[in-house]
Amino acid sequence: MAIEFSNVWYRYPGSRKWVLSSVDVGFDESRIYVVFGPNGSGKTTLLKIASLIYRPVKGKVFAWGYDYWSLPNSKRIELRRRIVYVHEKPVLFKGTVEYNIAYGLMIRGLDRHEALVKARVLLEKLGLSYLADKKTNGLSAGEAQLVAILRAIVLEPRILVLDEPFAHLDSSKRDKIMELVLELRENGTGVVIASHDVFLAKAIAERVIVVENGKVLKPD
Amino acid sequence: MFLMETIPLIILRTLWISGTAVVLSLLWSLPLAYLLSRKHGLAKIMVPVFDALIGVPTVLIGLVLYMLFSSRGPLGFLGLLYTPYAIIIGEAILVTPLITSTTYHVLNNVISTYGELALTLGATDKQAMMVALREGLPGVLASIAMAFSRASGELGIALMVGGNIKGYTRVMTTAIALEVSRGEFESAIMLGVVLVVIVVSTSIAIRFLQRKVYG
Amino acid sequence: MAVPGVYMNKIIVAVLTVIIAVVLASVLYVGYYSREIHVRVATTTSLYATGLLDYLAEAFEEKRSGVVFDFIPVGSGEALRRAANGDACMVFVHAPSLEKKYIEQGVLDEGHIFAYNYFVIVGPSSDPANVSRASSVIDAFKRIYRVGEEGKALFISRGDNSGTHVRELSIWARAGLNPRGRSWYLETGSGMGETLLVANEKKAYTLSDIGTYLKYKKDGRIPYLTILYTNDSELINIYSVYIVKSCSGSERKMAEEFMKFVIGEVGQKLISEYKVKEYGVRLFNPVNGRLELLRSLWVKLSEG
Repeated sequence: MAIEFSNVWYRYPGSRKWVLSSVDVGFDESRIYVVFGPNGSGKTTLLKIASLIYRPVKGKVFAWGYDYWSLPNSKRIELRRRIVYVHEKPVLFKGTVEYNIAYGLMIRGLDRHEALVKARVLLEKLGLSYLADKKTNGLSAGEAQLVAILRAIVLEPRILVLDEPFAHLDSSKRDKIMELVLELRENGTGVVIASHDVFLAKAIAERVIVVENGKVLKPD
Repeated sequence: MFLMETIPLIILRTLWISGTAVVLSLLWSLPLAYLLSRKHGLAKIMVPVFDALIGVPTVLIGLVLYMLFSSRGPLGFLGLLYTPYAIIIGEAILVTPLITSTTYHVLNNVISTYGELALTLGATDKQAMMVALREGLPGVLASIAMAFSRASGELGIALMVGGNIKGYTRVMTTAIALEVSRGEFESAIMLGVVLVVIVVSTSIAIRFLQRKVYG
Repeated sequence: MAVPGVYMNKIIVAVLTVIIAVVLASVLYVGYYSREIHVRVATTTSLYATGLLDYLAEAFEEKRSGVVFDFIPVGSGEALRRAANGDACMVFVHAPSLEKKYIEQGVLDEGHIFAYNYFVIVGPSSDPANVSRASSVIDAFKRIYRVGEEGKALFISRGDNSGTHVRELSIWARAGLNPRGRSWYLETGSGMGETLLVANEKKAYTLSDIGTYLKYKKDGRIPYLTILYTNDSELINIYSVYIVKSCSGSERKMAEEFMKFVIGEVGQKLISEYKVKEYGVRLFNPVNGRLELLRSLWVKLSEG
């Protein structure tokens, strides 16, 4: 397993209510998972813990075999860079689209110019070159969502986590994303998609994980 | 009339004193805001206090500083009374709650959104902080513009510890007050208009700088 | 650093430039300023606002370079309080009863009367209290009190512990009246100019110094007000200059020289001519040979 939860509990600082309780779940590479559950069920929290952003209050998270939160900082960053999370509501940096897409590459040490070229290549591949120089504050909700997803995909993560990725997308953009997801899957990336859409879950999931009231239901 | 030849100097002095006060205040207000954004327990107590202190009467700060800086006061040996530095210190204190509080709110917001976003994209803690600061900068600059406006528009401190000395500690607001007491309402209004033009153009200049930086 | 740093660096450079410029400006400013001897002079705002002190200081500095007078315009009470705290070397004031208090406390050293003028009772030209026919200033105030009680007149007081306010209160006291809290007696708590404007708006009586009244009258700001009563003993306004005991060194030496200049022949001539062309009357009278008379009046006033 790439990411594995072991009896994970979580609550937000200052709150007494458990958002997740006693969760055991795992995600592997080369698979498509759909995390299914109603709004407020704890889906997003689960995904952020899986993405090594939130630290569980109780329990352990293993990343590629390591007990992630007991690792020293220097070791953590290397593992964390293998898994990329995309927010449900896209947040973009101020500046251009290409800068946003290149950002993750640059902080990984890639030369600024090379990173920008890579970003442009990806946009071109999707027929979205016209977006490259656009300012992010002028994008439509759908375009912003697309840019946020591309910003993650360009990093070629071993696990890609998409939180409700289709919320703002029209069908043509949605198809583009689906194509990319399948392509990533072929190349060995594990894809975790959170959704409350039953049909979608059934259509593409190789494994469905159902979250309800902060618990993962055992598969039948 | 008698003021005319000295107006440009009064304007420059106001810019210098209030600008320095804001820069000085930034030296501690920004780290303080950063500290508060990291320590939630401390912020819970301190932020409401700072929020409330934004409106503290300037003449009160002026009076307290006067008693400190007076020859008979505990800091009298510094010889700061009736110098521009006394005004600078007072105005730096005056704008501290304003800068700290607004910057804290900005940081809190950008760290939880952009900081977390950067982490998801594989940033180290330090890189995440840098990117959060970059995104928060426009908010911080806006708070600096506000602080400059507050500092250059205050009267109580400049009057109490500056003394409104011609050619030395006379700033726009004390000049306005003096012109009013002289019955020269027209030149008081003129100075007031100049002051408003200065603070508004400072704000616009900062906006422009942001545009330049973020493209 | 791996963060796309170009933007950040630009900003940091800009900020550093500003800080360095500010620091340099400060250093230059200090260097420029500290070459001269500074004399800290606390003075009442109303006196400073006439421009007389700047005018005298400029004349003095022409002959005696290397000295600068830092006038700190505040209220009479505050000026003396600051002197008591050692934050002024010299004071110019016109509040004998306050001056006496600080002389007795040993705050003030040598003092001289350097000029005088008059307070005036101003009010609406209809003069409902017939102040213009008063036989004395006490009679005038009694008339205002009586008509005020009848609801036919208003009196506006400075209410700010200024020299003018202190004088007004002492007149009420000598008349055996206490107007405080009466519905026709309003305290503005502000300067002479503002108080005159209020009196003008409300067509009320007030006590004013002659300088501020003339200035506002000439500018057409108080069309409804006119001088109704004045006299040259009870309403005399005596300006004095003092050296503060705690002042020493070259600052004190310069302060003493300036005081000599102000009470000397040249200074007195400048005072008598000040703004005469503009107003057609004297704003300030020189002491000339009337020192004994002025002193005895000062003593009377200082006893409230």
